[in-house]
Amino acid sequence: MAVDPEKEISGLWRALQGSQESTRRTFYQMRQALLEVAGPDADPLDISVRAWGIIGKDMGKAYLPRMNLLKGIEGLMMNVARAYQGLWTTNGAVVDIEKGQKPNELFITWKRCPWPTSAKEHGASMKEDLQGCDTYLREFLEEVNAFLGTNLKIETLKSIPSGDGVCLRRLYNPEDK
Amino acid sequence: MGKLLFEWDYSSYPGAQKYPHLFKSIQLGNLTIPNRIKYAATEDNLNGRDGFVTDSGVAYLKERAKGVVGGLCTMQGVYLDEARRGQGYVGQAAAWDDKFIPGLTRLADAIHEQKAVAGCQLMHCGRVGAIEADYCQGPSPVPQRLRIFRPVQEMTKADIKQCLKEHVEATERLLKAGFDFVEISGIVGYLLSNFVSSYTNRRSDEYGGDIRGRMRFVVECIQEVKKVCGDVPLGIRLCAEELLDDVSGNTPEESMITYEMAEEAGVDVMSVTAGWQESIYPVISRDIPMGSWLHLAERAKQHLTIPVSMAYRLFTPDLPNKAIEEGKLDIWEMCRPMIADPLMPKKVLEGKEEEIRPCVACNVCLARLFRDAPMTCYINPVCAHEWDPKYEIKPAEMTKNVMIVGAGPAGLECAWVAAERGHEVHVYDKRQELGGTIIEASKAPYGDDELYGQIRFAKTMCEKNGVEFHLGTEVTPEVIEEELPDSVVLATGPRYSKGTAPGFDRQNVVSVLEVLSGTAQVGDNVVVWGNMKPGIGVALFLAKQGKRVTVVGREKKLGKDVNPSFLWRYVGYLRQNKVTTYNDCDIEEITDEGVTVVTYDGHRIPVKADTFVLTEREANPALKDVVQENGIELFVIGDALVPRNLSSAVHDGYRIGIRI
Repeated sequence: MAVDPEKEISGLWRALQGSQESTRRTFYQMRQALLEVAGPDADPLDISVRAWGIIGKDMGKAYLPRMNLLKGIEGLMMNVARAYQGLWTTNGAVVDIEKGQKPNELFITWKRCPWPTSAKEHGASMKEDLQGCDTYLREFLEEVNAFLGTNLKIETLKSIPSGDGVCLRRLYNPEDK
Repeated sequence: MGKLLFEWDYSSYPGAQKYPHLFKSIQLGNLTIPNRIKYAATEDNLNGRDGFVTDSGVAYLKERAKGVVGGLCTMQGVYLDEARRGQGYVGQAAAWDDKFIPGLTRLADAIHEQKAVAGCQLMHCGRVGAIEADYCQGPSPVPQRLRIFRPVQEMTKADIKQCLKEHVEATERLLKAGFDFVEISGIVGYLLSNFVSSYTNRRSDEYGGDIRGRMRFVVECIQEVKKVCGDVPLGIRLCAEELLDDVSGNTPEESMITYEMAEEAGVDVMSVTAGWQESIYPVISRDIPMGSWLHLAERAKQHLTIPVSMAYRLFTPDLPNKAIEEGKLDIWEMCRPMIADPLMPKKVLEGKEEEIRPCVACNVCLARLFRDAPMTCYINPVCAHEWDPKYEIKPAEMTKNVMIVGAGPAGLECAWVAAERGHEVHVYDKRQELGGTIIEASKAPYGDDELYGQIRFAKTMCEKNGVEFHLGTEVTPEVIEEELPDSVVLATGPRYSKGTAPGFDRQNVVSVLEVLSGTAQVGDNVVVWGNMKPGIGVALFLAKQGKRVTVVGREKKLGKDVNPSFLWRYVGYLRQNKVTTYNDCDIEEITDEGVTVVTYDGHRIPVKADTFVLTEREANPALKDVVQENGIELFVIGDALVPRNLSSAVHDGYRIGIRI
């Protein structure tokens, strides 16, 4: 009984896409539930940003066992960047990492990301989508900083929700002038 | 010469001749300890959840006190605060109020009854504490690497002052209870170590900064406790190497400064340790060769004038004896070897080393503690049941002729226990060698050779108790009918199960036993069928030979039968040796080219393989019918009953041995 690779891979591919779609839909369904419970005065932006903050912090904690300084700050920054890359790739994004010209500077590019489309589909603003992502990344990083006593920062230079075509973020160590 | 609590004369004992350095006295402060043996403070979760000492805790410690033959027996570390932020284990003993003194007195008395020196320990668990509270305390709010711990709250100066006071008050209670030696624990992530480490102490006040600043809390603690101790010697446990270089922990040089400062502050003995609970490096599991950490004790000796003690993979008396002779160590500490065999040093003294049940360094004892369960031991069925008469080996009311089929760990354990009770015991095995599947299992890499120690121990005990071996004898229905014993114990081991998929009868399908014994031809690409310990062991055995190995198993998680405190080692080694694992999967077909793996949800993965190794096991009902048909009392134990692990085999064997 030979395995038909095309059939196996296409089945898995469909399952992965379905799972990614379901994750995004679930987020917005939970957001809707919170809005309904919170009442008419609730600001969706507050709820969303708060939720992404919790998720970011928790994911940061989950990744602590993989974070270390054995290869110095540069190695740690690459650990963090790869963690972001892995987390977003699992969600259906395409993410690249490039070293910057300065030491201890990395540029992370989201060449494609399904989250802004999902936000649109569920009636969320692009501002909310962008701030949600920024909060997630920052809270994740804060957890790592607290763990290792570092002071890494991340800043958003371009974003898909702002119409830039890609999200471009700079991960850096401000202590390196 | 300091104060001597109990007279001991070891001169007539064979162990004192063989290991003279272990059985000579040593002075700690003003106290003379008759030998160089210390049972290290060990949490056991045997106390009430309210911190009160229990009968089981007293019985547990009393047995260890007997074992140290006059040496130092230390009770577990006590927590010191009513808010329970310093409590790291649900069954940890408490000393934050006078109401605990009667229970603590029972422990000190139990040690003294055995003419041993009673030690106690102060243990605020710091960032790994607050097991029953909402947050724990530390010098800085640095999150732990592991999720299981509570959030850390930074201690204020008032908190620090209060904590010092609690150390002092607890010491007063412990001294009232009658303890002869006090130790402060500053290791593995507990509070004192949190202050010392650059990883967890980021304070900018006088309790932080450089190593001298970070040691300030420890120094103050030593000085305050010392004032209360008076003539009672004071020890401390500190890390010689934190093994936290990946998170900017202390350097070994800084650790030695902490040792020097502790001595200067007034401690009388230093207990040398390595690693933290959050370290990514293994320290005490059996993949670490015995004696690996002795260089740390030697280094400590170079920095100190006070005596130095150490545990950490010193499981046999020759190692510490030699180290003491060479001036690298002063006191042999033990924890796990005396969990496995509480009388271990006593047996050394009496020249009965072969009768020591050796610890297999599996860390199930620790795994239990971290899961809020009472202490147990993988290979000592009596551990934590010392209080329970049901676990005693008592003479049989009616002696029987017992036939045990299978000379593996279950059969041998049952045999010696039954024989010691007075039964006439015959052990049969079709092989010419004792050990059953442990013969092969002990050939797996990363320290599994130590598993065979259980067979050596059981063989000695069988021989001592007159068990008759019938090796090279296959037990058939005819043998049973001819012998007609009163009881039959089937300890025949498991059957290796073939799946129902096409190809399981192919020539390239071999058993784990054939592979580990070297009798099977194994190609370069191997699929191991079964994701429990036998599968992991053989996968590593083959991967270390350079073969490409894939483990496929039905269990949802790898190594379901391996305790979590050891499983992380195997997971690391599998990754290191590039072994692929497919859990929650089945085999659809085996061919000459390979194997089709099918996931739980029906996806199929082709895996190239020239050899397929069976490790999946099932119960072995062989001979059951014939025993029952002849009206003979029947017991089935070990993997023959339900395939599990060495621990279950030994525990089954013991339990049936005391019941027959």
